[in-house]
Amino acid sequence: MVTKSEEDQLNRLEAQVDNAGGGAWEYLCLVRKLKVRRPDKVLKHGLAILNDSKKRSALGTEEWTLCEQVAVAAMDCQSLDVAKDCIKVLRKRFPDSKRVGKLEGMLLEAKGLWAEAEKAYSSFLEDNPFDQVIHKRRVALAKAQGNITTAIECLNKYLDTFMADHDAWRELAEIYISLQMYKQAAFCYEELILSQPTNPLHHLAYADVLYTIGGLENLQAAKKYYASTINLTGGKNRRALFGVCLCTSAIGQLSKGRNKEDKDSPELQLLAVAALEKDYKQRAPGKLPLLTSALKSLRVSS
Amino acid sequence: MGSGELRYEISQNAYIKLVLHALKHKAAAVNGVLLGRLSDRGDAVEVLDAVPLFHSHLGLLPNLEISLLLIEEYYGSKGMSIVGYFHANERYDDTELGGIARNIGDHIFRYFPQAAVLLLDNKKLEALSNGKDRSPVMQLYTRDSSKNWKLVSSDGSNRLITKEPTANVVLLDYMTSEKWQNVVDFDDHLDDISKDWLNPDLFK
Repeated sequence: MVTKSEEDQLNRLEAQVDNAGGGAWEYLCLVRKLKVRRPDKVLKHGLAILNDSKKRSALGTEEWTLCEQVAVAAMDCQSLDVAKDCIKVLRKRFPDSKRVGKLEGMLLEAKGLWAEAEKAYSSFLEDNPFDQVIHKRRVALAKAQGNITTAIECLNKYLDTFMADHDAWRELAEIYISLQMYKQAAFCYEELILSQPTNPLHHLAYADVLYTIGGLENLQAAKKYYASTINLTGGKNRRALFGVCLCTSAIGQLSKGRNKEDKDSPELQLLAVAALEKDYKQRAPGKLPLLTSALKSLRVSS
Repeated sequence: MGSGELRYEISQNAYIKLVLHALKHKAAAVNGVLLGRLSDRGDAVEVLDAVPLFHSHLGLLPNLEISLLLIEEYYGSKGMSIVGYFHANERYDDTELGGIARNIGDHIFRYFPQAAVLLLDNKKLEALSNGKDRSPVMQLYTRDSSKNWKLVSSDGSNRLITKEPTANVVLLDYMTSEKWQNVVDFDDHLDDISKDWLNPDLFK
């Protein structure tokens, strides 16, 4: 997960490299660090370095890291010949490496040779049953073949052992959401909030899921988590601001005719609306009238 | 009036915008809404524009509700309404219309009974550079009498066409120049509101 400033920095570097302004190695390192997926750029710029013997030897031992990075990007772009060459070079340099073995497994996946890939991964796990990377490749393998139920099973089993793996919890939550299994997704976000309570994105996703499930209690809880997101992001997260407005409106509709105590005070919504209008006035003034009348229609129903 | 023999005519810009959006996010599922109206003679639905929506968490309601609110507000004043939904699956060989697409389609159907759901046809998209196929690289689904979304067979029926017959040629051109990089969807807008989901300069 990447913050906005990290993403801006990455995009700036990318534009610079694209326009032949140099900084390719810096860009590739940043991509690796942030774990983002930009296969076309990595392939293009990484290969350019690898094919230039001067630049390549200037990297020293980092040459192999780059080789690995380019191999994965090549597989993502279906440039399987490039991937094969990179992996061959790595295999020659590191003949007994499990890390290269994982790449060879991924190449089988990229070729669609599912059974062979499964065999390779199973034999890895026999030797080392705690290899997290290989476990996760098996989940990816199931997902790629469309066996979502198997993917979920594998991921749940993995999380029984490696319950601190946040990426895995997030992947599981996303799979559940794509299948509209919202309660299960909520559970995943609860785990994430427990282990990373100051990460606003978990609060936001949890609120979104609660809102989607619906019902008065969930809407009230969702509103709280939108509020905590706003708190953690200094009021800058637009999705949370919108979320507050939606919750207030939906809660209002559901609690029509109920006791006054059940109704929330309107302050939070008024603040959210004000914050949104200020933001749009500054950065998207053309859309401000649209926003105002849309928010008004939300308020009318509350 | 049901959508028994209705034709769906999609404008080139709407069509290309949706496909480019899918190409921008190759590793994810994406969706969008179709804007337009019923033709004067009532025999066709004219899809005049499209707005790309999301490339993550398609199954969550809050952002969808906000986007539909703003979109209806804007297009309502232009005499158009939401006439359908577009979806592209995450995986290349997933040709099924999933639950999320059906649910969103159902919601749109409630307000526009001639609504269509379009699913990106990955194989057709891939084959675009080979042939001279003028038909859209999408599958058409309409609601049948038992409230299910049914695939409309494309053999000879031509119920889904692009208004401009050269749409695929233009699309191929844009694909070569990687024009998808400039497409803005609602996710992008929510992250940075200075990005315009109307994509006013995309085809300039």
